[in-house]
Amino acid sequence: MKGKKLKSGEIENALNRFLKNEQHLVLGFRKDESGVSQQIFKGNIDNYSLLNPVFGSNAALYLRRLFSKGLKVMLMLRPCEIRAYVELHKLTQIEREDIIAVSIDCPGTVSSKEKKDVVPTEAGQLAEYFKNSDSMRWACSVCSEKRGVVGDAGIRIDKANNYWIIPYTEKGEALLSDIEGESEEVPAEMLTPKNTKMDMFQVDMATFEKDFEKCIMCMNCRDMCPVCYCIDCVFHGDEYIPKGDALINKIFRSGSTKMPQGKELFHLIRMYHVSQTCVGCGACEEACPQGIPLTKYFKGVSERLQSIFSYMSGRSFDETIPYVTFLEDELKDATD
Amino acid sequence: MAEETKEMNPEIVGFACSFCTFKASEMAGSLRLKYPEGVKLIQVPCSSRVDPAFVIKAIFEGADGVFVAGCHPGDCHFIKGNYYTRRKIVALKEMFDAFSMKDKLRLFWVSAAEARRFIDKVTTFYNDIKEKKNEREKA
Repeated sequence: MKGKKLKSGEIENALNRFLKNEQHLVLGFRKDESGVSQQIFKGNIDNYSLLNPVFGSNAALYLRRLFSKGLKVMLMLRPCEIRAYVELHKLTQIEREDIIAVSIDCPGTVSSKEKKDVVPTEAGQLAEYFKNSDSMRWACSVCSEKRGVVGDAGIRIDKANNYWIIPYTEKGEALLSDIEGESEEVPAEMLTPKNTKMDMFQVDMATFEKDFEKCIMCMNCRDMCPVCYCIDCVFHGDEYIPKGDALINKIFRSGSTKMPQGKELFHLIRMYHVSQTCVGCGACEEACPQGIPLTKYFKGVSERLQSIFSYMSGRSFDETIPYVTFLEDELKDATD
Repeated sequence: MAEETKEMNPEIVGFACSFCTFKASEMAGSLRLKYPEGVKLIQVPCSSRVDPAFVIKAIFEGADGVFVAGCHPGDCHFIKGNYYTRRKIVALKEMFDAFSMKDKLRLFWVSAAEARRFIDKVTTFYNDIKEKKNEREKA
């Protein structure tokens, strides 16, 4: 695979050149004294950081319902965020024409709930930091795709801590031609290796109920999920989770009810609805005020359900989401 | 009276495609064939109308078992609806399997002429659920 080695400061220069056009924006990370945060840059780049060692929310969340207006947005994000963008494109929530997606190798992140000023922002140091510390988020420690191999181009980091930019599509080639340096062969060994798959997820309802006991039904997990995109969610209104009069009527029908009711219903339905598109980023767990291990369930279930159709969320633009397509000759043992 | 253990009668919710399975159930009625009283059929325009959310809701609102029934693959009134059902329900079964409650959900193909097959499938499902429920009650 061919790519260009990035000299120090070259990516900032390239982004500044890109931002000279008034219609161009860059969604990336900004570094200051208080840590690293997501930012949309306009005009010029300052305090730019290629890596973000702190995960607060998935930036693909801000891209929902972004439609063509003639501007161009460059995404310089983690692989999980780019994969969520790919899924949102398949769900017709984003138009691809105006977006240049660059995925950057991710050595792992810490939770935004932890102390974040001690975490380095440079790839080699960060990898070293995670070797000596167990503060990596659970979602990241089991992440199956931390490599920047999705989107229009990827920035990979090799063992000697050099940054490489590799194009995957025509837009990526155009971006590459704007960067100084010679195209050369990319080393095979990278800092972030391909990860192994998790064990098959299996629980019983008792464990599930115990884990979700603390749930207060704030629905932050739904609101912060990048791929849970429905404007009119089934949990709006009284149909699935009755409130007020509807709740009292229900209790007269069915007897004493533990409150808040409908937790299992909410989580299982959401788990099914995002099963094929879940990228396992862990934004739901990050948003949960009660510290419920949501990623374990959502990622576990989605990995099992995706493996039936040999699908992986966000892997490529060409694969269709399994629930909206079919083969006539498949799943022979589906019926009982 | 207190010594006698009461037999638990399960409640089963069935989503039946109005062109095939629901017709089969009507035919079963006109043939005076009986199926268990605990089976409640819900008519849907096509089996692919069944959002897995309906199934999950039925189970958490107290149903002991849920089945989704539609036309045989290739016979769908809407040409390809039941192919989508098949994918959705297979995935839902896999999810139920992950939560160790796979036995609560079944998928049948029953055409409008197969009244006896419908009775057979439904009764087997009902008896399996009843057996498991009574076992659990004893334990």
